[in-house]
Amino acid sequence: MRPVGFSTSPNLVLRLPMWRSRLMLFLLFFVFTLLLIRAFWIQGPGNAFYEAKAIRGTQRELELPASRGKILDRNGQVIATSLEAKSVIAYNDTVPDDLSAEKVSKLAGLLQMSESDLRKKLKEERKQIFLKRQVDPEVAQQIKKLEIPGIGLNNEYRRFYPEGEAMAHVVGFTNVEDRGQEGMELSREKDLAGHPGQRRVVVDRLGRVVEDVAIEQFPQNGKDLQLSIDSKIQYLAYNAVKSAVEQHHAKAGGAVVLDTQTGEILALANYPSYNPNDRRGLIGEQLRNRVLTDMFEPGSTIKPFTVSAALEKGAITPNTSMAIGASYLVGKKPITDTHPNGTLTIAQVIQKSSNIGAAKIAMNYLSPEEMWDMYTAVGFGQAPKIGFPGSVAGTLHPYKNWVPSDQARVAFGYGLSGSLFQVARAYTIFARDGELVPLTIERSPEFKPGTRIISAKTALEMRQMLETVTLPGGTAVKAQADGYRVGGKTGTAHKLVGKTYGNRYLAYFAGIAPISAPRISVAVMIDEPTGGSHYGGDVAAPVFSAIVSETLRTLNVLPDSSVKQAVSEGVGSTEIHAASAPAQHVTLKR
Amino acid sequence: MNRATLTLLALLLICALSLVAAQQRARKLFVLIERAQLQEYQLTQDGLRLEYEQRNLSKSARVRDVARNQLRMVPISPERTLYLKEAK
Repeated sequence: MRPVGFSTSPNLVLRLPMWRSRLMLFLLFFVFTLLLIRAFWIQGPGNAFYEAKAIRGTQRELELPASRGKILDRNGQVIATSLEAKSVIAYNDTVPDDLSAEKVSKLAGLLQMSESDLRKKLKEERKQIFLKRQVDPEVAQQIKKLEIPGIGLNNEYRRFYPEGEAMAHVVGFTNVEDRGQEGMELSREKDLAGHPGQRRVVVDRLGRVVEDVAIEQFPQNGKDLQLSIDSKIQYLAYNAVKSAVEQHHAKAGGAVVLDTQTGEILALANYPSYNPNDRRGLIGEQLRNRVLTDMFEPGSTIKPFTVSAALEKGAITPNTSMAIGASYLVGKKPITDTHPNGTLTIAQVIQKSSNIGAAKIAMNYLSPEEMWDMYTAVGFGQAPKIGFPGSVAGTLHPYKNWVPSDQARVAFGYGLSGSLFQVARAYTIFARDGELVPLTIERSPEFKPGTRIISAKTALEMRQMLETVTLPGGTAVKAQADGYRVGGKTGTAHKLVGKTYGNRYLAYFAGIAPISAPRISVAVMIDEPTGGSHYGGDVAAPVFSAIVSETLRTLNVLPDSSVKQAVSEGVGSTEIHAASAPAQHVTLKR
Repeated sequence: MNRATLTLLALLLICALSLVAAQQRARKLFVLIERAQLQEYQLTQDGLRLEYEQRNLSKSARVRDVARNQLRMVPISPERTLYLKEAK
C-alpha cells in the first residue's frame, strides 16, 4: 500500500462548493460598502447630529444681563433703581442626602428660614428649586463659602426705592421677575424693562469660557425715566397729608401739586401708603392711588367754574347782588347753606361758599348745556391723559338728562364726580389767565401753551374772588401761607354710602398760589375726618397752606405778600450780588 | 527628499507651531477680556450700589430729621429771609 502523506490524505480534501466562497466575498464586499456609505453619510449630509453633540460638549449659551432703567425725579435724584441680587437655587439631585446638620443649620440661618423647612425643600421631587430669591450679595457670598454641592447662585436684580412710602404711589413697584406691577413701573414697563442678550461661547473641560463664538442677541438695558416729580415737594406734601390724616383721625388723604406754567406734576401724595421695598406689604387698600383712582363729588370746589361760566357769558359781574335766603327749593329737597345769608354779591357767594347762591346763578343765568360745556372743558368726565394706570374719568351725565334739581345741585358740586387730580388740573385755568394746561408726569420744564377756556379778564376776576376765600370773612383763613398770597376754594362733601348720603364727609381745598403770578395749583383731600371739624376750611386748608409755602420756597418763588422783615437788607448783600444769584434767599438766623 | 521639500516641511512645521501659539495667545487674551468685562460689570454694580447709598443718606426724610434733631435747625420763613434780585 502506497503510503499517503497527511497533507495529501484524500479524507482531508475539502470540496467546498464555489458559491459559498463567492457568497462570503460578496458579503464582505457588501459590509464594507455599507461602512463606506455610512462613513460618507457621517462626514457629509448626516453629520448634523454629531456636530450638535460635539457643540453641546464644548459650547454653551450664556445670558448677557440687562438691567432695568432707573427712575429719577426732576432734579436727577434716584427714586427707583435696580441692584444686583442673587437667587439661591438647590439642584436636589446633586445635594447630598447626608448633608451635615451644621451646614444645614448655617444655610437655614443665612436664608432666614427654619431648618425643617429647608430640609423639606431639599427633599422635594423637583430637580431645581428656588430656596430664596433676591438675596443680598453679602449673604450670597457667605452661602457660596459654605461650598455645599448642589446649592447654586443665580444673578438677578432687585428694585430699591429710596423715598419709600412718600413716593410709593408714583413709582409703584415691580415683582420678583422685575416687571412693573403698579405706578410708573407698570405704565412705562416697555421703556424701563431691559432685554437680556445671549452669546455662544466655547468652554474647556472644566467649564471655563475660552472663546466667544458669537453674540446671538445684544443685551438692551432699560431706558432711564425722569419724572416731573420733585422728591422734596413730594415728601413735604406726603408729610402734610399724613399729619392731617392722623390729627383728624381720618381714613385717608391725598394731595396734588401742579406747575401751572409747565404742566408738570410736582407731587402726587397719598396716605395711607406702603413701603415698596418690603414685598410683604404690597396688598390691600393702601395700594390705591386715591388722587387718581378715587371718584368723589367735588362739592364746593366746583362753584368757581359755575361762576366762571356765568361771568364769561356776561350775565353777571363779581359785584352783582342776589338775595340768598335761608333755603331755595328746586325739585323736592330744599337747598340750604351752612350759615344763612341775606344778600350776597357774586364774589361773596364764592367767599362764603353759598350753595343757594351757586344754585341761583345756575338756574337764573345758565343753561344746562352751558354748564356742561364748562365742566367738560376743564376736564370733568374725561380721564386725564398722563399715562398713569387706573386714572378715572369720573361721571358727568349728559345735560339732556338733567332735571332742574340736577342742574341746581351740579352747580355746587353734587351729581357729578371726578378725581382730586381733575380738580387740581381744572384750577389751572385761573392760574393761566383762562388756559387749561396739558399735564405731564415726565420732566419737561418748558412753558406749555394751553387751551383757552375762559377769557383772561374772567380768570383775573376769579383769582380775586378766590383770594377772598382765604382772607378774613372767607371760609378758609387757614389756607393762608407765610409770605404768599393764595386763592382757592374749600369743599365739604357728604359721602355717598350706597345710594344715600350718610354722616361721612370729604374735606377739600383746591387753590393756586402765589395769587399775583400763579405758579402752582394744589388740591388737597382728607377722607372722613372724625376728630372735631369736618369742614374743608378747617381740615384741608391748613394742609394746602403748608404745601404751598414750602413748595414756593423750594421753587425759589419770591413772596408776593408783605412780611415784616426780621433781617436787614444790607447784611451780606454785596457778596451775593456779585455772585448774581437769581432770587436767592438767604437765611441769616437759624 | 530634495531641499525644496525639506524647506516646505520646515515651513509647515513653523506655521503649525505658530498657529498653536497664536491660538494660545488668543485664549489668554480672551480670558483677560472676560476678566475685565466681569470687573467692569462689578464696578458698575458697585457704582449703582454707592449711588443708592448716597441717595439713602440724602433722602428728604433723613435730611429733615438731621436738620431738625441734630443740627437744631428750623424751617425758613419769609420774615427771616432776605430776597435779593439779580444784579444787572
